[in-house]
Amino acid sequence: MLLCAALLPQQLWADDSGLILNAGASRKIKKGLNVDVEAEFRSRNNFRTADRVSLGAAISYKLLPWLKASGGYDLLIDNNHEEITYQDDGVSYNNWRPSYWGVRHRFNVTLTGSYKVQRVELSLRERWQYTYRPSKFIKNFDFDEGEWEDHEVRGKGKNMLRSRFQVEWDIPKCKFDPFASVEFHTTDVLEKTRFIVGVEHTIKKKHSFKLYYRYQNVNGSGGDDEPNIHMAGMGYTFKF
Amino acid sequence: MRKRIHFILLMAVMAMGPALVSCQSDDTDMDDIIALYQMEPVAVELDFSQLTEAPDVPVTDENDSAYNDYVENSPWNKVINIAFDGGNATVTGSVPGVAIQRNGAHLTIMNMSGPVKFVISGKTDNGSLKFYGDKRFQVLLNGAEITNPNGAAINNQGGKTFYVVLADGTVNRLQDGENYTMVDEEDQKAALFSEGQIVFSGHGELSVIAVGRGGIRSDDYIRIRPGVRIYVNSSALDGLRANDGIIVDGGVVNIVTTGVGAKGVRSGGEMKVNGGRLIAVNDGDPRVETDENDTTSCAGLYCDTLLTINAGILKFKATGDGGKGLNAKHNVIFTGGSFQAVATGTRKNKKPKGVKIDGNFAISGGYFYAYSRRSDPLEVNGTLSVAQGYKTYDQLPKVVIIQY
Repeated sequence: MLLCAALLPQQLWADDSGLILNAGASRKIKKGLNVDVEAEFRSRNNFRTADRVSLGAAISYKLLPWLKASGGYDLLIDNNHEEITYQDDGVSYNNWRPSYWGVRHRFNVTLTGSYKVQRVELSLRERWQYTYRPSKFIKNFDFDEGEWEDHEVRGKGKNMLRSRFQVEWDIPKCKFDPFASVEFHTTDVLEKTRFIVGVEHTIKKKHSFKLYYRYQNVNGSGGDDEPNIHMAGMGYTFKF
Repeated sequence: MRKRIHFILLMAVMAMGPALVSCQSDDTDMDDIIALYQMEPVAVELDFSQLTEAPDVPVTDENDSAYNDYVENSPWNKVINIAFDGGNATVTGSVPGVAIQRNGAHLTIMNMSGPVKFVISGKTDNGSLKFYGDKRFQVLLNGAEITNPNGAAINNQGGKTFYVVLADGTVNRLQDGENYTMVDEEDQKAALFSEGQIVFSGHGELSVIAVGRGGIRSDDYIRIRPGVRIYVNSSALDGLRANDGIIVDGGVVNIVTTGVGAKGVRSGGEMKVNGGRLIAVNDGDPRVETDENDTTSCAGLYCDTLLTINAGILKFKATGDGGKGLNAKHNVIFTGGSFQAVATGTRKNKKPKGVKIDGNFAISGGYFYAYSRRSDPLEVNGTLSVAQGYKTYDQLPKVVIIQY
């Protein structure tokens, strides 16, 4: 990961950086049917600011030896970025909405196809997700009025297709399995792309640890208020 | 087994450590900036306290354009006394060339006889004075209290100088009615109205209460001399208005206006302030002309042409929607005195400005303060010239202060 970071082009150093921590559990109900739960924490602002906490649950079923279907729900609790708008002169402040915590509900349906070539497993995951943000009243400082105002962030829903291509390598006699993936987030336009490289370490098939680096490149036309960001990820899954 | 536990613990510590330090906000630090935007204005309130003024020295040069503005420069040996008492008025003294018609306490006076002094006293709740004639004349208010339910309390239809002298130490009061009974081809625009120029002098007090139209208005100009104490409360139109200019040489003038689109002081011609204390507080909202899609906002002081401030204490406050402390449509020259303009109104129809100047603004002395809670404290659409030598020149989001 350090090598990857060192090889990054200069302008990428200007992007934000943060952390992803997740911990989950996976339970096999019967052959081919699994239930997963997961909690996740993200930070931003060069690791200094909490960005998101989420809780999720999913159920998956292996339709075919090479095809898995799943559906899930995530409760996302976001620390939304501040927003500053300016007057026509581009210098004078118009409004300031400080960062605030808000909730979103996300539902997804996923199909994952995988294909193994010797010790390398290729997989393609197609995920449709619908995210709903309920309306919320927050405080907004209006510089013209010189006072705080109640402002309604209106509720809205958003559909997105996430397409992920992943390569995993099962190295003989090595307890660490490297993997890499690229994922495209598309609405009516490509909103963001995520590149991931990492390793997975499994102990007695019960404890699974992941360490990875993720770079998120946000397309300017994306609707969400997300930056380009480098992220260090750590994950743990308990299987029982 | 122990190795695995250590590994899991290591992973947990590595995970929790960074998470625990992620507690810092990434918001811009706005505390100081917001404090500037929430700054409260200086208090602008009516002030009836005594004002120490320099001696009022009349102009003695007959060639001076102001010579005739000084009541001292005319002979006042022709005197008529009018004493109101309820629904009646007693007239004593007669002057050839002066005819007086009486209808209860409503007096119509035709003056064809040069300078005549009318000494007015007493109280009436249904009376008035109306003057005709193209000769200058003096009304000495000597403890008079006149209310006219159907129009102006004093109405001068003559075009010559109308001297309003407030007898020393007296308290006088004029009040109009909500509905004016109009006469064809005659104006009647205020509780105290004159077609000709009005010059206020003396050391008494005058209160003008206007509920139908304006408070004090001249279709010519108005001069206010040191010593007078005038209070105008107008709930309808402008407090103090002159078509051809206003000159404030001194005196204490307090004005309250609450009418829609009303101005505390409005000068259609050049306005000069050379002393005194003039305070106008305006609570009205703008007049919205739906047919013409036009909006006229209120102002403490509204000046159509050049405004020159050389001395004196000027305070203006507008609290209504889009109200301005000062709304100057032409140039403003400020050489001395103390000036404070405050706008605290909302901005639904118009932007409330502390000071709005469509022409140029040149300041070279005195103390200038402009504040707007919800818009620019000072807007100058022409050139802003601040002469060197100032002690303070602060341009904050809601306040502009210039002090020499």
